[in-house]
Amino acid sequence: MKVPYSYLPQQFADPAPILEEIAEVIKVGDFTLGPRVEKFENLFSDFIGCKHAIGVGSGTDALFLSLKALGIGAGDEVITTANTFVATAGAIETAGARIRFVDCADNYVMDVSKLEAAITENTKCIMPVHYSGQPVDMDPLLKIAQKHNLKVVEDACCAIDAEVGGKRCGTIGDTGGFSLHPLKNLNIWGDGGVITTNNEEIRDKLRLLRNHGMVNRDEYAFYAYNSRLDTVQSIVGCHLIKDVKWITDMRIKFAESFDSAFSQLSDFIKIPPRPANERRVYHMYMLLVERRDELHSFLLEQGIDAKVHYPIPLHLQQASEGLGYKMGDFPVAEKQAKNIISFPVHQHLIDEQVQYTIDKVKEFYKA
Amino acid sequence: MEVKYVDIGSQYTEHRDEYLKTIDEVLSSGQLIMGAEVDTLERNFCELTGSKHAISVANGTDALVIIMKSLGIGPGDEVITASNSFISSASSIGLIGATPVFADIDDDLNISAEAIEKVITNKTKAIMPVHLTGKCADMTPILEIAKKHGLKVIEDAAQSIMAKSNDWLSGSMGDAASFSLHPLKNLNAFGDAGIITTSDDQLAEKMRLMRNHGQVSRDDFVFWGFNSRTDAVQAAIINKKIKYLDGVIKNRRENAQLYRNRLKDIVKCPVDGEGCFDTYHLFVIQAKKRDELKAFLDSTGVQAQIHYPTPIHLYKAASYLGYKKGDLPNTERLAGEILSLPIHQGLGPSQIEYVCEKIEQFYK
Repeated sequence: MKVPYSYLPQQFADPAPILEEIAEVIKVGDFTLGPRVEKFENLFSDFIGCKHAIGVGSGTDALFLSLKALGIGAGDEVITTANTFVATAGAIETAGARIRFVDCADNYVMDVSKLEAAITENTKCIMPVHYSGQPVDMDPLLKIAQKHNLKVVEDACCAIDAEVGGKRCGTIGDTGGFSLHPLKNLNIWGDGGVITTNNEEIRDKLRLLRNHGMVNRDEYAFYAYNSRLDTVQSIVGCHLIKDVKWITDMRIKFAESFDSAFSQLSDFIKIPPRPANERRVYHMYMLLVERRDELHSFLLEQGIDAKVHYPIPLHLQQASEGLGYKMGDFPVAEKQAKNIISFPVHQHLIDEQVQYTIDKVKEFYKA
Repeated sequence: MEVKYVDIGSQYTEHRDEYLKTIDEVLSSGQLIMGAEVDTLERNFCELTGSKHAISVANGTDALVIIMKSLGIGPGDEVITASNSFISSASSIGLIGATPVFADIDDDLNISAEAIEKVITNKTKAIMPVHLTGKCADMTPILEIAKKHGLKVIEDAAQSIMAKSNDWLSGSMGDAASFSLHPLKNLNAFGDAGIITTSDDQLAEKMRLMRNHGQVSRDDFVFWGFNSRTDAVQAAIINKKIKYLDGVIKNRRENAQLYRNRLKDIVKCPVDGEGCFDTYHLFVIQAKKRDELKAFLDSTGVQAQIHYPTPIHLYKAASYLGYKKGDLPNTERLAGEILSLPIHQGLGPSQIEYVCEKIEQFYK
């Protein structure tokens, strides 16, 4: 049996209804921004439960442009976590600010109890990452942000439809950045991203920042970027956003099956805490396991497309050299990097594939 | 009669089934980011431009930003460009923290080599000629000046795919070049896309990493980069459209010739430079009473446009640079005279004839 990580050919086996609508747009040549992008933005803000959504070129750009809109740049520091996709750090660097990492908690995302120690007089912003769809503990984070007068940009790239403490991820900070990358829970047919905010001023600034600072065809307020969500991709987004609830529910269902089976393998597998006040959306289903590399190879041999997110934490990447970190600075993230593994958990799996994955893991540990 | 300035719809209708099938095939492959179509696009661009490397990115603006970042240009540096361009030519320089310095243009609307030399300082790091309208800037003296002063040359080739200057293809003459595949360009995607070309191996490698998070392999990142990729779907569409590009340019050049035949004694028409092959992304005449002419054409169903009514150095966005009216006299004078007539490949002789009649009528 094969258990693939990607499901795109299945998801788009019948693209005809979307293609028909795209054909209409192509016929009139309406390729850049316009009413279809606005329609998607409105659907997105309704779904997330915020006032404004701004479509941009990618999740990376959503984070980067958020920082620009909040006036964060050279000389400023932005705090994020050591275990995240490289784009989180890249966005901070691109904005000209300095990256400060903090260690991870048992749930693989920012350990908020270690946050305050990382704050300096140059800190301007905290960028919590709801990595893998696992929300960061936002209540204490917000209290720290308020106390130190810091901005908060939520990296919600993996976390559409996630919630913590009754609040939706992406609505809690000053802005939220979402990715629509093909492998995200809400995906399009290429790169795209969305910024969410409840602040009108930030919204207006972002609309200029993503489109050359263009007030109208002949007036430009400031030098800015080209980072637009393609109109044809907005059409894809409008169609697929209707499925997000179902997608999340399927992933939660499979994750719960995994949790219940693997809780019997506690000698080999450590399941993270699963508090009841969170809605985790399982963009990835991640665990800490013994003999990770062996298990990984074994599963791949068995046709199960398991992955490691990621074997090298960001502070130990060559890209971090100038930041002055070394091995041992973030012991939890470093330990997790050695034991972490992700299993396919997407909505197009069938129960048999989930059971097969469970069986093979059990077989590996001879349990 | 209505003569539209752009008619993307007609380009599409002709090949509708081919394009929709192409998108469907990409979806079936499941490879929506990078992959075979993107590789093919880059190989195609090496051929189209006579360059050793082509690196696809998200748009033409990003192409310029990535080139300059990779060349190590940044705060404290100056880059010389033209002020009569789309804002990205200058804003890309501002965005990397460098200072745009504007040089005046010649009557062919391209940057003047003589004017470039006058604004070189000890902070100048690069010259960015814009091959505006599909006409190559006069590269021989520009390359000489660059060599003399040790400057990099970045071609802004957003409008000039397949344009030639003395057998050199645009995009192959400087250290690197940027192309835009924006929907309004001669070779156009169904959204944003851009290409960088260069024949410098080291620079190419750096730019490849920079457009994709500095990612060497899935787990290794050598520097913090951007996410600026051409979508595979868009790459596949462009790969299909490339085979029509010769035809597109041929039609545009024929339309240009029809305009010249009829209008050469009435308004100043663009002509191919000596040894040049222009591709007429725009057909920009220089006309007296321009605004009245434009209004008259509008009233007769002819859509003309102005590229661009305000030069970049006079935008609010450039106010921090301290330029004022009068600083670039030729650029400013021409901004009041230029008018882009409809020239797209979907137009035929009868429509061009109609536009010419109306212009004749206006000046009678």
